[in-house]
Amino acid sequence: MKKLKLFILVSIVALFAGCATVAPNELVNARSAYRHASDGPAEQRVPAELHKAHEALVLAEQSFLKEPDSYKTKDLAYVAQRKSEQAAALGAMADDKAIKDKANADFQKKQTEIVKQGKQDLSDSEKRTADARADRDKLAAVKEAKDKSDADFQKQQTEIMQQRKQDLIDSEKRTADALAELAMLAAVREETRGLVVTLSGSILFRSAESNLLSSAQVKLDQVANALLAVRARNLIVEGHTDSQGSESYNQGLSERRANAVRDYLVQRGYPSDRIQSRGKGEGSPIANNSSPEGRANNRRVEIIIER
Amino acid sequence: MRHVSKIGIMMFVVATAIVAGCANAPLRTESSTAGIRAAEEVGAAKVPQASLYLQLAKEEQELAKGLAAKGKKEEAESMLLRAEADAELSIVLSHGDAEKSEAIAAVERVRQLRRDNQ
Repeated sequence: MKKLKLFILVSIVALFAGCATVAPNELVNARSAYRHASDGPAEQRVPAELHKAHEALVLAEQSFLKEPDSYKTKDLAYVAQRKSEQAAALGAMADDKAIKDKANADFQKKQTEIVKQGKQDLSDSEKRTADARADRDKLAAVKEAKDKSDADFQKQQTEIMQQRKQDLIDSEKRTADALAELAMLAAVREETRGLVVTLSGSILFRSAESNLLSSAQVKLDQVANALLAVRARNLIVEGHTDSQGSESYNQGLSERRANAVRDYLVQRGYPSDRIQSRGKGEGSPIANNSSPEGRANNRRVEIIIER
Repeated sequence: MRHVSKIGIMMFVVATAIVAGCANAPLRTESSTAGIRAAEEVGAAKVPQASLYLQLAKEEQELAKGLAAKGKKEEAESMLLRAEADAELSIVLSHGDAEKSEAIAAVERVRQLRRDNQ
């Protein structure tokens, strides 16, 4: 609106002044300065200052109408120019201040955000640390339990090994004792088929008979005790005869005698599934059947203790 | 007739004295001087654009005193208006650089903060 009024005033001035009267430089500059100021931030930021500039310009224009070439017109125009420049400068400063104020507000806001984020990050970090500690403690507890379990297992294993060692030692001792006892009771020798305990036939049976003598039972009790003192092993009881009589007779006699010894040992407690008997007849002599001593040796029962 | 003539003469003398007194009254430079001093106090001399207008104000004040000495009082007073206007503009411009610098610094501060926290 002000611009329009000024335009009208300038137009009137031009009209009355006539084409021959040219506005002094000061007035031209003042008009330009006012246009520049009103186009800038002064109108929004410092309207009062711009109004003063406008008033000054109006005075100058009015003076120009009356006295176009006077010093008064020039001085008033000069002052109007300065007022416009002042308004423009104040408008720019107000703009800068607004920018500064906004920037400061943004800075504060951003700082607040950063502090808030920092606090959140710290809180999250503390939580993660606490969680990590809890996990670590859990793992430590699991490890401790496992270590203890391992240690207990190791201890148990050690105890078992020691016990087994001791059992082995004891077993070997018992075996050695049993063998020593057997050696005192009968002839004992090591063969590929096992440990062979040989009992003389004449000690166990009457001639041509397969019923055990009473004295034989005593001996067989001792043999059974020795055998039962160690871990049960498979036994084979073999009956042997000399070559006197027919083969079939000797075979039958040897079988009956082997069975008698087997049955007796089972009665004494030896496991029946671990002891067999068989007759070998005259087929496996250990001595010469041509002499009485030889035939006496051949008449025997062998108890084979398998390995 | 003699009475009227005496009063008339007295009035003429008084009027002449008033006119003579006005013509010889010293130039009133308080306003421009105050403006120039204010501009100096705010450091206008140190701000390039402001110092230019401060200098102009001083020169114009001197010109005004010269015109007054020659008896051109009205011209002198009109020149003093220039001096006042220049002094005022000098004061405004002496703050302008500072405001701009502060605004630039404030904007840069925010940018730096954003860069540092990306």
